[in-house]
Formats: sequence, structure tokens, C-alpha cells
Amino acid sequence: MSASATNPGMANLGISSIGQISVITHDTARATAFYRDVLGLPLLFTAGNMAFFECGGVRLMLGPASAPELDHASSILYFRVPDIHGAHRRLVELGVKIEAPPRLIAPMKTYDLWMVAFSDPDGNVMELMSEVPRA
Amino acid sequence: MNTQEGTTLARIGQIAINAHDVDRATAFYRDVLGLPHLFRAGQLSFFDCGGVRLMLDKAEKPEFNHPSSILYFVVGDIRAAHQRLRDQGAKFEDEPHVIAQMPNYDLWMTFFRDSEGNLLALMSEVPRPS
Repeated sequence: MSASATNPGMANLGISSIGQISVITHDTARATAFYRDVLGLPLLFTAGNMAFFECGGVRLMLGPASAPELDHASSILYFRVPDIHGAHRRLVELGVKIEAPPRLIAPMKTYDLWMVAFSDPDGNVMELMSEVPRA
Repeated sequence: MNTQEGTTLARIGQIAINAHDVDRATAFYRDVLGLPHLFRAGQLSFFDCGGVRLMLDKAEKPEFNHPSSILYFVVGDIRAAHQRLRDQGAKFEDEPHVIAQMPNYDLWMTFFRDSEGNLLALMSEVPRPS
């Protein structure tokens, strides 16, 4: 069976990737400092009250809500790190609020999936994730 | 591996999207958006979108029971994708329009709702004829 037969929408819409994710902030300067200096993401540019970051080919757009209905917490974004315990220690040193310490979420066939939950300055819960190969 | 490399946030591996009805949302992301469905684990439904995993989930705690962040899906032909999505019954908030004129291209977007009421967007970088 061809890909287009099993996935008619894919063939027609042609979605290739996620290009951007919007994260609402009530303080763009504070959020910019956090994503740049604490999480260490490259700041691409700012435009008015918005700041754009790059994360592995996906753009993060930080800015105020453009309508009241959009003023809610962000989706949980799961950031990949190679060393989850090291990254967790680093967040603690930098004073980041940890919501859940490093924990094994799911034992997969060839690796263990570890995660750490933390909050950004707006209270958005985010996670670090790491696939740790099983010895 | 040095400490710096080990703790660098290299990329986004997954995004959680709230669904009130995981079956209904799974049908939308699979059949309407056409994303490859990876697997189902209880109330969790996983999709792939260009190397990023989307996790559809029913919020277990009240503080997580809110709409998703706006995710902007990259498409090649935004007018055709808009037409196709509308034909499939997706609710659009607007028509495809230029949202920013960049040095080499026009950035087009159009906003729509998934089956759960989450606001999403299509985006396309259209080269400007020189």
C-alpha cells in the first residue's frame, strides 16, 4: 500500500515539520533572560514585545497573548539533553524551580526514558528528556 | 562528553497537546492533518512531525487542563493545504495571509482549530521573485 493510500492527508497537506511554537509570557524581558541565559537557547531576534529563539530547527516565539482566550499556560515542551542528571544539577544551581526530579518515565526496548520537570518564570511547566541506553 | 555539551538543550523532542477525547483527536491528527501515528499507550497517543513527537493526552490535573500552545506546521503550499483542510471540515480563523515580509521571502500563515478547540497554524516561507 502506498504512503498516500495510508495517509491521504499527509500527501495532500504536505506538513513537513513544526516550524514554530508560541509560548505566552507576561514579562518578555524576564522570559528572554531565562530562555537565553538559563536554558542556553540561541536568541534569534526580538521584534517589539516578542523574542524568537531557536531550538534544533524549531523556533520558539515568546510574547504576550494577542487575545484573552490565548492567555493560558504553554503546552509542555520536552527538551532533549544528553546528560539528564548533569542538566538537572545545572538547573538547580541556577535556581530554577524543579517540579519533579530526574525520574525513569518508561523503560523502552533499548533505552530508559528519563525526565525532569521544571517551571519557567511564567509558571509554564517544561521537561528535560533523555534516552539513556541500557547497558 | 564535557559538562557543557551534556547539559545543552539541543532540540525539542516532544510536545504535549491536551485532548478532551483522545480517540477523536487521534483521528484528526492522523486522518485530517495526515501525521504518522507512532503508537498508543492507554490514554496517550503519539505522533511524529518531522522528528518531533506530539503526545495527545487527557489532562490529569486541573492546572494542565488548558489549550495547547499554538503549533505552527510548515507546509509547502499554504493555499492548497488550507483548501484541503477546510474541505475536510477543519475550522479556520482566517484566510492564508502574509504575516511578515522577510528579506528573501514572505512568511504566510493561516490559523485553524483542531478537533479539541486548540488553535494551530499553517506556515509557509514563500520566496519573493527577485
